[in-house]
This record gives sequence, C-alpha cells and structure tokens, in this order.
Amino acid sequence: MKMEDMPLSGPDNTKLEALVNDIYSELVEDACLGLCFEVHRAVKQGYFFLDETDQESMKEFEIVDQPGVDIFGQVYNQWKNKECECPNCKRLIAASRFAPHLEKCLGMGRNSSRIANRRLASNNNTSKSESDQEDNDDLNDNDWSYGAEKRGDQNSPRRSKTLKHKNGKWVRNLHPYNYNAGINYEMLGPDEVRSFLTTQCGVISEHTKKMCTRSQRCPQHTDEQRMAVRVFLLGPSAPVLPEADSVAGPESFDIPDGQALMSRLQWEDSPEISPSDSASSKASEETSGSPFPIKLRTDKEPISVSLTGTNHSDSRRPKKKKRPPLGLNSGGGIGSLSGGGGSGGSQTNISLSTKKKKPKLTAPSISSIYDDLN
Amino acid sequence: MIMSKDYQLKASINQKLIEMGERERLKELLRAKLVESGWKDQLKAHCKDVVREKGLEHVTVEDLVTEVTPKGRALVPDNVKKELLQRIRAFLAQHTAL
Repeated sequence: MKMEDMPLSGPDNTKLEALVNDIYSELVEDACLGLCFEVHRAVKQGYFFLDETDQESMKEFEIVDQPGVDIFGQVYNQWKNKECECPNCKRLIAASRFAPHLEKCLGMGRNSSRIANRRLASNNNTSKSESDQEDNDDLNDNDWSYGAEKRGDQNSPRRSKTLKHKNGKWVRNLHPYNYNAGINYEMLGPDEVRSFLTTQCGVISEHTKKMCTRSQRCPQHTDEQRMAVRVFLLGPSAPVLPEADSVAGPESFDIPDGQALMSRLQWEDSPEISPSDSASSKASEETSGSPFPIKLRTDKEPISVSLTGTNHSDSRRPKKKKRPPLGLNSGGGIGSLSGGGGSGGSQTNISLSTKKKKPKLTAPSISSIYDDLN
Repeated sequence: MIMSKDYQLKASINQKLIEMGERERLKELLRAKLVESGWKDQLKAHCKDVVREKGLEHVTVEDLVTEVTPKGRALVPDNVKKELLQRIRAFLAQHTAL
C-alpha cells in the first residue's frame, strides 16, 4: 500500500491531523483503561481504601502547604540560629556546631585525640623552655578560630577551670593522649601525670620521650622502670606504684592547687630516690626538657620544672627538642621538699623554681643524687 | 464513513508504530506525564466516589470504565496533549514520507 507524502495539501493535512488525533485518543483511552483495571483490582483485593483511616488521623497528617514550612509542618532552619551553652567551657556555640565542639571540648571524639597528639608533637618541636600545659580540649576547639591566642592564653580562666572540674574531667583529658602510642610527659601537668601514672605504665621511652600507655603490667617495662619514672616525674615522695597510688590517686585529682601537692611531696623522704635511681638509669628515661611542668593552677604561669640538669647526661638518646637544660629546678625543689622544708617553704621553693623559666637552681647535694641516675 | 484508503492508511501507520516500538514509548511517555501532572490522582479520587456509590462489592470494570473514561479524557492537561500530538506528528513525518 502506498504511503502518502508529508501532507502539505489541505485535505490530506486534515486527514493526517485526524489520524494523529485518533492515535492520540487511543493512547489516552489505553491509559484510562489501565487505571480502571488497577482500581478494580484494588477494590476486589481489598486494598483500595487502605490509605484512608478515621477522620482525626487524616486531619493530623494532612499535607501542609504553608510558606516557610515543609509538608509535615516543620520549620527548616529552626535550630540554625540558636545558640547553646557548652556545659564544659561555658561558651555559647551555634547549634549546628555544637556537637563537634562538644566532641573536642570533652576530648572524647575520634578527632580530638588526633588533634591533641598532633598538638603535643608540634608543641614539643616548637615551644621553648616553657612547656605550656595547654588545655588541649579547649585549644582543639580553638584550632580554627583562636589560633593567635593559642600559646599566649595560658592564663585564661578556661585553663584553670578545667582542673577544677571533677575527677572525670581530668581523666578524660588523658584519653586523647592514650589513643596514641605514647604521651609526652612534658605536656602534662602534675596532676595529670599523677593520674596517668596510676593507670598506665608510664615508662618513658628513650627514643620518643613518650610515656608508655600500656597497663601497669605491660611486659615491655619492668616495675623498677615504672618506679623510676614515677620518682622522676612526681618527685621522690610520689607514690611509685599503682597499688600504692590507688588510694592516693583519686585524692590528688580533687586537689587542684599546689598546696596539697607540696604537702604530699613532703611526706616521703629522699632515700626513696636511691633505689629508683639505679632503676632509672636502666630505664631509658627521657629527661630533656621539662618532664614535669608543675603547673600550679594557682600560679597562673607556665611552669617548666625539669630535672634535666643531670639527667641530660644520663640520657643516651639524642635530644630531638631544643630545650635548654633547665637545671635542677624540680630537683632543687623536690630536694628541698624532701629535705623537710615547711609547706610554705617548699611551696615557695617550687614557685621560685617554677617561675624562672630556665634557672639552674644550684643544689649540688641534689645533683649528686641525680648523678646516680646515670 | 470510513474510506477504505484512510482505514488502510491508519492501519498501516499503527502497525508501523507498533513495530518500531514507538507506540510503547508513546504510551509510557503519556503515562508518566499524566502521573506527574496529578491526573492519575484526580481520576483515582473520582474512582473512589464511583466505587462508594456503586458499592464495594458490586462494582464492575464496566462501571468504572463508563464512569471514568470520559472524565479522564477531559482531564488530560493541555500541555501533555500538545506534546503527544507533536510526537505523533513527528513520527508520521519521519516514517510516512518514505
């Protein structure tokens, strides 16, 4: 049968147009029929009226069509411009940033430990004699906005605040450190060191100057090493083993200021140093820099007390940091403590030693004790 | 009165549509557009009325068809109709000029 050409002539055109319309009508009718069959089946199978319930529910879930509101009736940016007060640092944080902030502020997220360790590493490499114990959690949070304040803001109320928190807070502070292979003792305050040492091995590695984060029974280090580290970091009067510490440990957390610290350090005698001295010589202790920045929160100053003087010679490791030998700050301080100075006197000794950024407190008698560490 | 020629023409065109799969495509296109435009929901609501009217148990396909199809034809949106006509014309232009 012959097909017609593309119609431009009148009658053919209309015929064609009629044809087109016919085809279209057939298509539409097909669609309608399809729908009828569908509905009929639904009716007979009983699911046609399934989407209808009682009037009340129907009204409740009716589609909402108002501006500014989605079809459920909820506002979109409702929480965007609201601010929440962080229970930790008491700052006002935008709602959408609240969760990440809290994560860092509490030191409990995945990233916070990474940031903390990164900061520790960078602090070790760049900061000078004062090893500032920075509040890592707050500074983590400040990473992106308060960069300038980071190092300078050591006297901010926030820093002291965190230590005044209860026990759990301090412990949490340590968690970021624990995630990594080790903690640098220079970055920890006395109380944090103490708390850390009650739960972890803490022996300082020769190579990395970090404290072992394994348990107290870690097979890599001996108990002697652990005792040596404790003496080294906390002073001769420090409780050296976890068993001993377990009673004393929690208490130390509760006492943020230096008074109790001093009084505790006084109780024990210096002879305790000797057994641990030999042990510490075995243990590869890192002594460069200030192992034990006594951050007396009352003091408000970056305190770097280090036993580096003699221990420098002790260490067989190449020092990676360029900490100037700080002499026997803590040695002198502790020595004077163990010498039985009064609490006030000891405190002033410590504060004296701590206020000087790189003093070498001459305490030749004490230096002899530390010579034994060699 | 159906001219046999026209009838034959129509039959052949239809055949061609089917053979080339164009009819199926057109059908799908129409269905999609009708759903998109809400035509289907409108008509379904009408169906509900019909069903309620006739009684759930006794409604038949014929009932639905007779009630629904005319309304369905009328409810097709203009743009959908135009687009379909356009496509059919294009098809014819392409394939009947041979």
